[in-house]
Amino acid sequence: MRAKKVSLYSLTGFSKNNLQLLRLLIQQELTLRYKRSVIGIGWTLLNPMLTSFVLWIVFSFFFAGKLQTGQQFAPYLMAGVLLNTFFNQGLLQAANSIAANGNILTKVSVPPKIFAFAASLAAFINFLIGLIPLTLVVYISGQSFSFFLPVVLLVGFFLALFVAGVGLALSVIFIRFDDARNIINVLLLIILYLTPVFYPISILNERMQQIVTLNPLTSFLDVFRWSFSNNAVATLADFIYLSLTGIFFFTLGNFFFKRYWPRTVSML
Amino acid sequence: MSLVIDGKNVDFSYRVLTNHQSSLKTLFKDFVNRKVRVENYQALSDISFEVTKGETVAIIGKNGAGKSTLLKLLAQVVPPTKGKLQITGTVAPMIELGAGFNQELTGRENIIFYSALLGRDVEKVKQRVDQIADWAGVSDHLDYQLRTFSSGMIARLAFATATDEVSDLLLIDEVLSVGDGEFAQKSRKRMQDIINLGTTIVLVSHDLATVSELANRVIWLENGKLKKNGDPKEVIAAYLSSGS
Repeated sequence: MRAKKVSLYSLTGFSKNNLQLLRLLIQQELTLRYKRSVIGIGWTLLNPMLTSFVLWIVFSFFFAGKLQTGQQFAPYLMAGVLLNTFFNQGLLQAANSIAANGNILTKVSVPPKIFAFAASLAAFINFLIGLIPLTLVVYISGQSFSFFLPVVLLVGFFLALFVAGVGLALSVIFIRFDDARNIINVLLLIILYLTPVFYPISILNERMQQIVTLNPLTSFLDVFRWSFSNNAVATLADFIYLSLTGIFFFTLGNFFFKRYWPRTVSML
Repeated sequence: MSLVIDGKNVDFSYRVLTNHQSSLKTLFKDFVNRKVRVENYQALSDISFEVTKGETVAIIGKNGAGKSTLLKLLAQVVPPTKGKLQITGTVAPMIELGAGFNQELTGRENIIFYSALLGRDVEKVKQRVDQIADWAGVSDHLDYQLRTFSSGMIARLAFATATDEVSDLLLIDEVLSVGDGEFAQKSRKRMQDIINLGTTIVLVSHDLATVSELANRVIWLENGKLKKNGDPKEVIAAYLSSGS
């Protein structure tokens, strides 16, 4: 039997030219939002800092003393904000991307998934840019950096898979039901509260701790905090849980999309 | 002779909810009351036809006959519900010129982005940008945002970009006349050049004069069915005498 040639195309369904298109779309996603603003992409740096600052003022009274010794609240909080922004915005943009580009998709033959992938990857890059102010905050708060810093890339990669997968599935649902958008906004708020973004998990009672630990974003966040500056405890189980989550939801989303897209495209 | 399009018994239908309100609440209420009825709307049924390389085929028919749907199937934007539709080679859909243009991007960025959407090699296009803009007559505006362009300029830029690289199959939906008199002539000439180069063309048009001038075969669709397929004169005569 002849070995089947494995190419990028056979793996992803994207040609080399499609990858160029993906790059252009990511560029647009990153720059167009700020096209008419004065400091432009500087908002990507400023936004997480401002959000974290507001949350820090509100919550540092309650939670700063509850962290384990050696952990500082400011970097703890900001890491949470960055990861949550990555998840939230990436997901919403990926889910909206296909409906928003419906005009293109019904006229030009482009693999539709490319728009959702671009949104997810743009959120990943925004997250990486956000690490710059986080570095600053870690430094100011006098905390040390971890040796496992490169693991952050791995966390981001699996979260991008997770976001792209769920975003793809949602994109079909968004086209079919307008109301889904509003439901998702509420769900995202619930998920925010079920992730230890601005509180340490130790303040919860046992029952709630179990629920929060089941949330895969908690594992993402723990590993992220741990690998950035030893600001949380990460176990092997967390690693396995987050990578499986990423792979599972990416596969599921692609499958769901493939199944329902042909019927959905005529609704655009 | 190599086939560019090979369609066998192509069906296309989509489902429509009878009370068209895509809100979960109403859908749920109707579902409980068993009022949800899904209708299958048959846009095309049992279409079989072939197009060989170099042909110019026109699709005619009344509004709602399925012409644009067929063009979408050929553009591989939607897959056929049933049947087989095989298309060989690269396809340049000119279904709506400038679909994919972004108002916030500059003319230059739009040329590159639109070409990328059409599946072309961005690196090659980058070297051609100036020529494309020059041909479209928008060189002065190239580095301004598209929202500063007039609609005529946008149409010219879109036409110039879409036809810059010759594809194996060109799909055209009523876009033959672009811009003012001079440019319309220029674009007509380019279309003729493309035809002479041996590109296969499928066009949808209501303008029977254009059809008989350009096409060497005409397909007549009626109510989603293929009514007649053959010599332009015969098919057009039959179409006209059918009273539509």
